[in-house]
Amino acid sequence: MKKYVIFLIVTLCIFLTGCEEKKEEIVMVTEAGFAPYEYYSGGEIVGVDVDIAKRIAEKLGKKLVVKDVAFDSIISEVKTGKSDFGAAGISYTEERAKEVDFTINYAESKQVILVRKNSTIKTVDDIKNKRVAVQLGTVADTYLSEEYPSVSLVREKKFLAAIQDLKDRKVDVVVMDELPAKELLTDDLIILENPLLIDEYGMVVRKGNQELLTAINDAIKEMKASGEIEKMILSHMGVEEKEKNETIWDRFYNSVIKDQRYEFILEGLRNTLLIALGAVMIGIFLGTVAAISRNIYENTGHLRILHWISKSYVSIIRGTPSTLQLMIIYYVIFKQTDIHIILVGILAFGLNSGAYVAEIIRAGINSIPKGQWEAGYSLGLSYGKVMRGIILPQAVKNILPALGNEFITLVKETSIGAYIGIVELTKASDIIASRTYDYFFPLILIAIIYFVITLCLSKLIGLMEKRLNNARN
Amino acid sequence: MLEIKKLKKKFGSKQVLKGINMTVEKGDIIGLIGPSGCGKSTLLRCMNLLEKPDSGEVIFEGDNLIDNKNFETLRRKIGMVFQQFNLFEHMTVLDNITYAPVKLKLMKKQEAEKEAKKLLKEIDLEGIMNQYPSQISGGQKQRVAIIRSLMMKPEMILFDEPTSALDPEMIGEVTNLMRKLARDGMTMVVVSHEMSFVKSFCTKVLFMSDGIIKEEGTSKEIFENPKDDKLKSFLSKINSY
Repeated sequence: MKKYVIFLIVTLCIFLTGCEEKKEEIVMVTEAGFAPYEYYSGGEIVGVDVDIAKRIAEKLGKKLVVKDVAFDSIISEVKTGKSDFGAAGISYTEERAKEVDFTINYAESKQVILVRKNSTIKTVDDIKNKRVAVQLGTVADTYLSEEYPSVSLVREKKFLAAIQDLKDRKVDVVVMDELPAKELLTDDLIILENPLLIDEYGMVVRKGNQELLTAINDAIKEMKASGEIEKMILSHMGVEEKEKNETIWDRFYNSVIKDQRYEFILEGLRNTLLIALGAVMIGIFLGTVAAISRNIYENTGHLRILHWISKSYVSIIRGTPSTLQLMIIYYVIFKQTDIHIILVGILAFGLNSGAYVAEIIRAGINSIPKGQWEAGYSLGLSYGKVMRGIILPQAVKNILPALGNEFITLVKETSIGAYIGIVELTKASDIIASRTYDYFFPLILIAIIYFVITLCLSKLIGLMEKRLNNARN
Repeated sequence: MLEIKKLKKKFGSKQVLKGINMTVEKGDIIGLIGPSGCGKSTLLRCMNLLEKPDSGEVIFEGDNLIDNKNFETLRRKIGMVFQQFNLFEHMTVLDNITYAPVKLKLMKKQEAEKEAKKLLKEIDLEGIMNQYPSQISGGQKQRVAIIRSLMMKPEMILFDEPTSALDPEMIGEVTNLMRKLARDGMTMVVVSHEMSFVKSFCTKVLFMSDGIIKEEGTSKEIFENPKDDKLKSFLSKINSY
């Protein structure tokens, strides 16, 4: 057993160090579901923003790294220095300008109104009292919240989800940027002639990073003057042809095979497994330490401080949402630290799982009759020898089903890793859907994968239970 | 061999032991009797410190066990047999018997197994040595438990109602083993409700009531010529069965 654990840790280290590039990098953070500014093509993030960013990186003599996170995380990514600059079709607002510095604008966009073809909504004024879908944290979201208190806003994580809501009649209106709206437009939808508002896009850098700000501004000025940006926008428009009357096979092909999209799924699977595996090991370690230190204190009075820490740890972790823990670890604790994001995931999920494992182990220890302790003590065995040789082996057998449950939960829980930009299974399916505008196969496929993983896990636990039972009967 | 002085123990607000003084000499077979709740089991459990007394002394072969850094080593020399047997459920009979001496490095594994097999054979139990506790009868479990304590080569053994959890037909096999230990000169303290066994087995009997030792004497004195009123009423209740 020990050998396997060491092997796993070594592989993990090799994998994680293998991911680090030594060349000096400049990190652009974006949300790659916003064609033509940024979107996935053949496994790579491309788009107008990426083209401009490449030019900036070139000028600075650095290697461009593009990072994909949720749109509402972009400002904090830049603020905390985890990324150097954000470029995601970000509109200038006063709130944002308080948090980060904006460059000069490089493109302007209209926030347009999308409705179904047969809709009674004809002008901007008609949207009052209607259900309107927007993307969370976009300028449309803020603007409508302030200026149109009568509309009931549906804040989706993705434009695509907002459009789907419109098609499914869950909302009456979608407000979004003009260019991606044109990209997503299908026969059953129209864009109203008058936009809700016109706004301007800038890139954002950390407050006070004058050097980078100037470099980006210079690059934008130059490219605007030469008309390059306009060309870039045109070249990225209508890249993704919309196919009509697709058969199921076409949809499968588009979702999985075309442009090697299965690679997202594979990457997601690898990350999901890696995080789950690492987190399980950390969880077992922390859980055992926490549970045993409490038991030692309760039985012998030693380790008072560790016992107190363990108790607080368990109640804090159990008392807060895991998404929050993940975000606090990433954006608060590891703020401005160069740590691999998978490692953050492993730590966060391991820390979370450890608290639950601690309680499971504690319950397992308490389930062993007092007489077993007394028999051990009466033979002159010490607390440690009784715990290791008599109590824990019996407790482990009792808690296996509960532990198995915890690990199955953990595997599924890793899906919230997408919040901090980890490309795990759920994020992978999101990426694919953001290109194909078709959620069906990506979602079904990862559902099957999750199911198979957890099924294998429960079979494995079942096998261990059986072996332990056979040993006794 | 064992001397108890002014032993007091409280559970919550209930004073269970109110100052016990008693002495166990080598070769004594002491019966502790009394109504339930009188503190006899607690007294027994204080003798090897499974319960920690609030005050008083437990002196075993010259050493006070209380707050003694070495008490785990001293405790090895005081065996204990429980009402509920308390065999280690995850170990075979053989492992139950050899676990402590091997873990405490008193014997090599082979040596311990040889000794265990010899002891099992003497009472015709060598056939169950590879079985688990859940597979054997209560009488067998209790005899295995006795052998488990014998492996530590104890100076004395404490019995906490050793036959109370047994079916009637199995009591004999356990008491026979105890009689055999007595013949070999083992010092024993027995808490029991089996008055006829105590009467015929013990050399000395202590009657406890309400946290104190009310009367002590030979088993003949206690059972045939009781003096204390509480002892008299206790015996008459039992005899009226």
